[in-house]
Amino acid sequence: MAAGFKTAEPLEYHRSFLKENCRPDGRELGEFRTTTLNIGSISTADGSALVKIGNTTVMCGIKAELANPAVEVPSRGYIVPNVDLPPLCSSRFRPGPPGEQAQAASQFIADVIESSEVIQTEDLCIVKGKLCWVLYCDIMCLDYDGNVLDACLIALLAALKNVRLPEVTFSEDSEVPKVSLENRRGLTIHKHPVGASFAVFDDSIMIVDPTAEEETLSTAIITVVMDEEKHLCALHKPGGTSLSGEKLQDCINRTTIRHKEVHKLINKVIQSVKTPE
Amino acid sequence: MEVCGSSNPTLREFGSEQNLLSRPDGSSSFVQGDTSVLAGVYGPAEVKVSKEIYDRATLEVVIQTKVGLPSVKERAREQCVRETCEAALLSTLNPRSSLTLILQVVHDDGSLLACFLNAACMALMDAGLPMSCLFAGVTCAIDGDGRIIIDPSAVQEKESRALMTFAIDSKERRVMMSSTKGSFTVHELHQCVAISQKASDNIFEFYRESVRRRYSKSV
Amino acid sequence: MPESITDSKPEKVVCGPGLRGILRHKQPNLYWIDSQQRRYVPSKGENVIGVVTAKSGDIFKVDIGGSEQASLSYLAFEGATKRNRPNVQVGDLVYSQLIVANKDMEPELVCIDSCGRANGLGVFGADGLLFKVSLGLVRRLLAPQSEIAKDLEKMFPFEMVVGMNGRVWVKAKTIQQTLIVANLLESCENMTAQQRQTLFRRVADGSI
Repeated sequence: MAAGFKTAEPLEYHRSFLKENCRPDGRELGEFRTTTLNIGSISTADGSALVKIGNTTVMCGIKAELANPAVEVPSRGYIVPNVDLPPLCSSRFRPGPPGEQAQAASQFIADVIESSEVIQTEDLCIVKGKLCWVLYCDIMCLDYDGNVLDACLIALLAALKNVRLPEVTFSEDSEVPKVSLENRRGLTIHKHPVGASFAVFDDSIMIVDPTAEEETLSTAIITVVMDEEKHLCALHKPGGTSLSGEKLQDCINRTTIRHKEVHKLINKVIQSVKTPE
Repeated sequence: MEVCGSSNPTLREFGSEQNLLSRPDGSSSFVQGDTSVLAGVYGPAEVKVSKEIYDRATLEVVIQTKVGLPSVKERAREQCVRETCEAALLSTLNPRSSLTLILQVVHDDGSLLACFLNAACMALMDAGLPMSCLFAGVTCAIDGDGRIIIDPSAVQEKESRALMTFAIDSKERRVMMSSTKGSFTVHELHQCVAISQKASDNIFEFYRESVRRRYSKSV
Repeated sequence: MPESITDSKPEKVVCGPGLRGILRHKQPNLYWIDSQQRRYVPSKGENVIGVVTAKSGDIFKVDIGGSEQASLSYLAFEGATKRNRPNVQVGDLVYSQLIVANKDMEPELVCIDSCGRANGLGVFGADGLLFKVSLGLVRRLLAPQSEIAKDLEKMFPFEMVVGMNGRVWVKAKTIQQTLIVANLLESCENMTAQQRQTLFRRVADGSI
């Protein structure tokens, strides 16, 4: 009976749960799904992380390459993020060039990296005007069940913390860089941006961490990104029904709590990776 | 061409013209300072079977840059404009049809996304599409000293520490869309929202005035 | 203007939000908003000019400028029977009435009234000129005491068919005159009554 109701009237089905202040998967309105994190899962990458938020699974691999800095900004390296939503992760995505959602997600991640200054691109410069690092951050969704932006951000942050760059020496006369793979060092992470996504139902009910189904039924989605100093790095709401200032404040308050949770999780996982060595 | 010599010194001078193209079902140009956008709407027209939605119209937004091909940045902006328009339009009144909104950049001198939104709203109005509310786009920049500049030019945008663009609805002056760049405090956010809401009043007043003028001839 | 709250006692009428056009009123209590759309959205009972685009079995497909093609049964013509099919070719113009028009169904046209008479409907326009104007102008042309039509009539005789879907067909004695009428009508779109009368006078005098 319930299954039939769900198929025929998905919106009514969700509403009947929301009325009771709970959701079909048993969560409360302001409750995130269980978030799990694995760091360094890809041995061939310079840094990697796997994040699961409920069923949503996102993998981030970072590859570092040497390159010449751009002429306009000789003392900066580059960070090139890319979000891929392959057909594998959900039936809503078709093979072929990246769709609008994937492109918008890539742009969002790029904006957050720039806005939050999680890594200062000056740190990636090795020799001014001659040599710098390029970090290719490839984020791939393996299982799409909503809220990919949050998952992508956690994966990116964890993978960046996992990066171990080899030491490079650059001899001025021969102009050939020498890479010593034994000596590696991590990146300086200046800020820790963490996101929280909210879905709005019927213009008023706000739920946190929406699943794919909730995303499609909701009237608006909003993503708030915050760093540890409680500065906002992004307030991303691509249209949808309108929200008042108080509702925005509610979102921000919830994000503050979420930031602490995720920060703790990342630190814990990094600790646990380090201890066995 | 109508120009609103704004009494509020914070918004740049803005102006608009409706129904200036003969082929589209609705068209408008919107100028904010030196930023200028041309918009055209087609629809409700026939829809491709693959894009047909059984209970509402399919809205497509295309942003054409001045030079070169549209990039990922334009895609992200298209998404913002599309979802804002979708929320404002009563698209369930024209199911199984297509609406196409084309936004052509004429000149970019800052606050481009806000200008897109305003041009889009004027074009949708010109096409006479049923809408539940109107919307206005406002961009705020926060400079190095923490001052808030409304409707910044390209130079001001470049020098700013943070940049926020909001779409404000005409019904309750709430935030329909938000897109930000740079980091800022919660307090600054609320300040910018409040300023944008205030500035949107000018734009809505301008919308009314230009529609009134447009129809004054056919009374 | 819409987006305003009209306080007509005893009940409150809320109009809007959104700006569309001019709120018009006809006694005793008929209100509508007049706007200048260009795209036609079919509505039941309206007379439109369609172009036959295809014949398939028992029906003709007719383009009426809406989001979907309308269908027109071959039996919906005066005197048509199963054996006596009407002579309609692809590309013909038909003046017809919408009997089915709602958002969820394909629009359906007929070329007869409820008594089975053509009553002005049917295939027309062997020659003459078809052009498009805004829906607002069409409504003004069709208004019972339309000043535009009256002013035009004074110049020279011509035939005119006006469809609610923004299509207008005109035919005068010569091609020259047909074009003059068409151009004048198109230019009426954005003119005040005074401007229009001056223009018409100048044309009648032969100064343009």
